[in-house]
Amino acid sequence: MKKAIAFLMIVALALTVAFAQGAQEEKKGDIKVALIVANTIDDKGWCQAMHDGIVEAMAEMPGKIADYKAVENTQPADTMTAIRTYVNLGYNIIIVHGSQYRAQVEDAAKEFPDVMFAFGTTSDVIAPNVFSYMPQSEETGYLSGIVAGLTTKKNKVALVGPIDGGDSARYNRGFVLGVQAVNPSAKIQVTHIGSFGDTVKSGEAAMAFIQGGADVLTGSSQQALGALRAVADFPNEEIWWVGQDIAQIDIEEGYKCIAASAYNYKAVVVGLVEKFEEGVLGGECLPMNFNNGGFVWAWNEAKCSDKITPEIKKAVEDKIAEFTATPDTLSNWSAVDYSTL
Amino acid sequence: MDLILNTLTLTIRFSVALMIASMGEMFNQKAGIFNLGCEGIMTMGAFLGLLIPFSYGGAGSVPFGINLLGLLSGAAAGALMGLLFGIIVITFRAPQGIAGIGLQMFGVGLAGTLFRSYIGGSQSITGITAYPIPVLSKIPVVGQILFTHNPIIYICYALVPLAWFIIYKTPWGMKVRAVGTHPRAADSLGINVSRVRYQSLALGGAMAGFAGAFLTLCQAKMFTAEIINGRGFIAVALVYFGQWHPVKIFLGALLFTFAQVLQTQIQIFVPSFQYYEFLTMLPYILVIVVLAFNKESNKLGPAALGKPFNREMRI
Repeated sequence: MKKAIAFLMIVALALTVAFAQGAQEEKKGDIKVALIVANTIDDKGWCQAMHDGIVEAMAEMPGKIADYKAVENTQPADTMTAIRTYVNLGYNIIIVHGSQYRAQVEDAAKEFPDVMFAFGTTSDVIAPNVFSYMPQSEETGYLSGIVAGLTTKKNKVALVGPIDGGDSARYNRGFVLGVQAVNPSAKIQVTHIGSFGDTVKSGEAAMAFIQGGADVLTGSSQQALGALRAVADFPNEEIWWVGQDIAQIDIEEGYKCIAASAYNYKAVVVGLVEKFEEGVLGGECLPMNFNNGGFVWAWNEAKCSDKITPEIKKAVEDKIAEFTATPDTLSNWSAVDYSTL
Repeated sequence: MDLILNTLTLTIRFSVALMIASMGEMFNQKAGIFNLGCEGIMTMGAFLGLLIPFSYGGAGSVPFGINLLGLLSGAAAGALMGLLFGIIVITFRAPQGIAGIGLQMFGVGLAGTLFRSYIGGSQSITGITAYPIPVLSKIPVVGQILFTHNPIIYICYALVPLAWFIIYKTPWGMKVRAVGTHPRAADSLGINVSRVRYQSLALGGAMAGFAGAFLTLCQAKMFTAEIINGRGFIAVALVYFGQWHPVKIFLGALLFTFAQVLQTQIQIFVPSFQYYEFLTMLPYILVIVVLAFNKESNKLGPAALGKPFNREMRI
């Protein structure tokens, strides 16, 4: 009996080694990308933006990315398991999409120095094999602020934020600057629900704003979808939304979304692949802004054309031209103090 | 004045899901079963609450009856999950705490998987809209606070006295209390302890499932995999908070929701207060403080809560 068990174990071991070698030969020279996200890749927000960027990059560079896999709903505590699994499967570019994963990325970068990691959002340079990326979302927030400031009839606009950190903090403060630039007398109300994914709480906050008289709202991260849904609960009233993801224009509630910005992660992913081919695995921060094609802006001409006045359109497009020509024009974004609003 | 008016109006509107789920958990616990799986049951209810109307009319408007069917489907799914929990903890006598955590994970995971398979990404629906009651809604102050909601909210509020009546004034309610307090004594009087506990779990599960479907159809009007986001656990805490009494649980749900709405209003209207992190945890602190200072709670709870019953054993 013991001999039989020993024989079976040897056979199993031999087969494992044989197939493992076969798999390595098969993937030689290929670029395989894994994405780790806290939500789902179809959340019409933060996670979907990166997923779409990877898919678009694959279409733009046919054959370069041999495989792409996404791990959804990943808690920071589970991140190392996901990273190890994908490294063992031969994935060589691992994008860990969320500032909550920083400690895990730092550990993984040390453990797997030959693997390229991409991590956002932060402007810090983390390790020689980590590219960090930081959307300078104050630019898109500023544009949303212009739209809100020029659209409001009650002179009261509102912002449903998740947690005051990362790119959301930049978007939100950019929004305040944008409103103040075009409509200094407008009342700007801000709340943070304390979660990136609680759409119910986000809807409750939006409802509180609307009951309080706000007539143009915006919100950042995937939780904002709940706030947009609350806005859509007032189909016959002049209550509008400015989105932080273009996907919000195309959904059922999109008839309330005057315009939206989005991150163009395709440019980031293409850049990562090119760096990987050059043998550079990290050690840099990749900023995202209008200047380097990191953002896109879209009007909801199909459903909100009457809200897009020539004045609003010109103000926004002039600002996009300015952002495109010169990066970092809103370096004062962090000086925005909500307590003075 | 507007601040108070809006806070109270929103409190009435947003407290319903918590209140119904807590009331369902109360039926479980009154019968001696501690069901930590409330979160999972609510998530399944929320999913079915979306699936039925979405299958009928997509994200567009659907007849009221279809939305009602969504609510009832959520309740039915909840009842089935309650019965499943019963098989685990009543028939197989598994530890209730661990089994409850398992049920929570199972419900959240199953709902997420089915949602991804049948619907896809985050999806919204028109749901059930508010219907201000003619004449009554025009009464100053009270009209806005009480009579501007969707019709399901009024039905849900009517469940509070109904739950009190069932628990304290019906023979079945007495059996529930008996099996939760002294199952051996109840058994000696000819009460089928397991059957009553199964019935309580089915009713409690149905209410939790209904609460989840309510969130989808009447409040958030959308579904995401983490839509419940801890509300199931708050519902369990509110049962202790309300000392297993329907009216006190109702008041607890109102107080918790009031604190939730108030913290948002403070952020909006008192921007100089910068510690939003503190404000967002305010409702939870409130629950902890009330529980900590409510020393009578343990004495008021069902004596056999969490203890499996085996009529073949003497203790």
